[in-house]
Amino acid sequence: MADIDTQSNDNSVPFYPDHVSNEAKVVIGFSVLALVIGLIGLFAPVGLGEPADPMNTPAHVKPEWYFLALYQLLKYISKTAGAVLPVIAVIVLTIWPFIDRKPDQSSKNYKRRAILVAITMLVLITMTIWGEVS
Amino acid sequence: MKIQFRRSYLFAILGVILATFVIFFGTIGQSQAGSTPAENRPEDETAIDWTQSKAIFSENTHIILPSKYTAANLPPPEQDPCLHCHITGEDKGLWTPLVRWIFFGGAGLLFAFGIYRSSSVWVNRAPWKPITTRTADWFDSRYEISEPLSKFLSKPVPKFATRWWYCLGGITAFLFVVQGITGIMLAFYYKPTPEAAYSSIQFIETQVNFGSATRMIHHWSSNGMILMCTAHMIRVFIMGAYKKPREFNWISGMLLLLLTLGFGLTGYLLPWDQRAYWATTVATEIGAAIPIVGDLILVFARVGWDIAAETLTRFYALHILILPLVTVASMGAHFLMVRRQGVAKPL
Repeated sequence: MADIDTQSNDNSVPFYPDHVSNEAKVVIGFSVLALVIGLIGLFAPVGLGEPADPMNTPAHVKPEWYFLALYQLLKYISKTAGAVLPVIAVIVLTIWPFIDRKPDQSSKNYKRRAILVAITMLVLITMTIWGEVS
Repeated sequence: MKIQFRRSYLFAILGVILATFVIFFGTIGQSQAGSTPAENRPEDETAIDWTQSKAIFSENTHIILPSKYTAANLPPPEQDPCLHCHITGEDKGLWTPLVRWIFFGGAGLLFAFGIYRSSSVWVNRAPWKPITTRTADWFDSRYEISEPLSKFLSKPVPKFATRWWYCLGGITAFLFVVQGITGIMLAFYYKPTPEAAYSSIQFIETQVNFGSATRMIHHWSSNGMILMCTAHMIRVFIMGAYKKPREFNWISGMLLLLLTLGFGLTGYLLPWDQRAYWATTVATEIGAAIPIVGDLILVFARVGWDIAAETLTRFYALHILILPLVTVASMGAHFLMVRRQGVAKPL
C-alpha cells in the first residue's frame, strides 16, 4: 500500500467544489456536443439501408469498424488462428498487471510502453483503414 | 466543511437537465403528422366550402367549422380555424388540461404553503433560512448524511489528476449515461421483431419528435464511447497505472471494454437492415471459428444456426437489460476502487 496517497493536502485540490466544477465543465461541454450532434441528426438522420434479406448477400459484407481490423486479418490467416488470436490478446491484456509487475523506476518505462502502444495502434488503424477501403 | 455553492454551475447543470427533459418529453409525444391517421382526414383537404359552415360544438365554444367536420372528425391542425378549441371544445385533449392543472395547481399550493410558512417564521421570529438549507436540515436531522457527505466531498484530489488526460474515463462514463437516456427514449418506439424492427426505426426517424436527433446522438455517442474507452485504456497502460495495488481495477476496466464492444455488437443488429444483418453474420462467424467452443458460442449468440427472430430478441434483451446491469455494477466497482486507492501517481 506504499503509493496509496489519500490524505496529503499539499498539491491537492478538494474534490468539491474545485474538482467537481472542472468535471462539470467537461460534462457541459460534451452535453452541448451531444445536442449539436442531435441537431445535425434532425436534418441528416443516421438513416437505414435496405431491409434485411437472409436470401440475398450484399457484395461487400463488413462488420462494425471496431471489428474491421480483425476481419481483415481473418482474410489472410487461417480462420482458427484469426479467432484464437484476439482471445489470447484479451487474456494477455487482462492478466497484464500480473505479467508486468516491476514498479516503474524512471519515465523510460513510459516511453517503452508508449512505443508499444503506438506500434499496436498503428497496425490496428492500418488494418482498419485497409479493411474499410478493400 | 462549509459546502460552497457556485450558482453559475448550478444554473448550467439545470439548463442541461432542462434541455434533456424537453427532448425527453418531446419524444414521448408523437408529431402531429403521425397522430392523425390518414383515414380519419377528409378526402379533399384543399377545397373546403366555408359557406356551409355551422357550429358543431357545444354553445359555449363558438367554433364555426364546415359541415363535413364533426366533433369526432376534426380537421387537421394546420387547417383548424381555432386550434385551442380542440382543448376547450367537446373533444378535450387529455394532456393539456392535466398539465395545466398540475402546473398551476402545484404552483398555487406552493404559494399558499409559502405564505403559511413565511407567516409562521414571522410569528416565531426564527432566523430566516432559504428553502434549500431548511430542506437539507430536515433530511440531515433524520438521516445524518451531512458528515459522511462532506467527508466524501472534501476528499483531496491531487493536482496532477486534474490534467485533461485523466478525464477520458469520466467522459466514457458520461457517454454511458447519454446512451442510457437516449436508449430509453428509443426503446419507447423500437419493436424487436424482424417484421416490425425496420419500420419502427423508420417511424422513429420520420414521425417521432426529435426521434432522428435521439438516434443520431445514440449512434455517435456509442462510437465515442468505444474511442474514449480505448483512449482511457491507452493512458492507463502508458502510465503504468495498472500496477500494484491496482490490478483489479485494470481487470474490471478490461471487462468494461468487452462490455462496451458487446453493446456495439448487439446494438448493431437492431435496425435489421442489410448492413446490420450481414455485419452480425460476419461478427458471429468470427466467434464460431474458435476451436472447441466455437459452435457453442455461435448457437448461443444466434439462438440456432441462423440469424432469425430469436437472435433479434436475444440481442435486444442483452442490449437493454443484461449488459447495462452488468456494466453499471462493473462501473460501480471500478469507481469505488479508484476512490479507495486514489489516482495513481505518475513519475
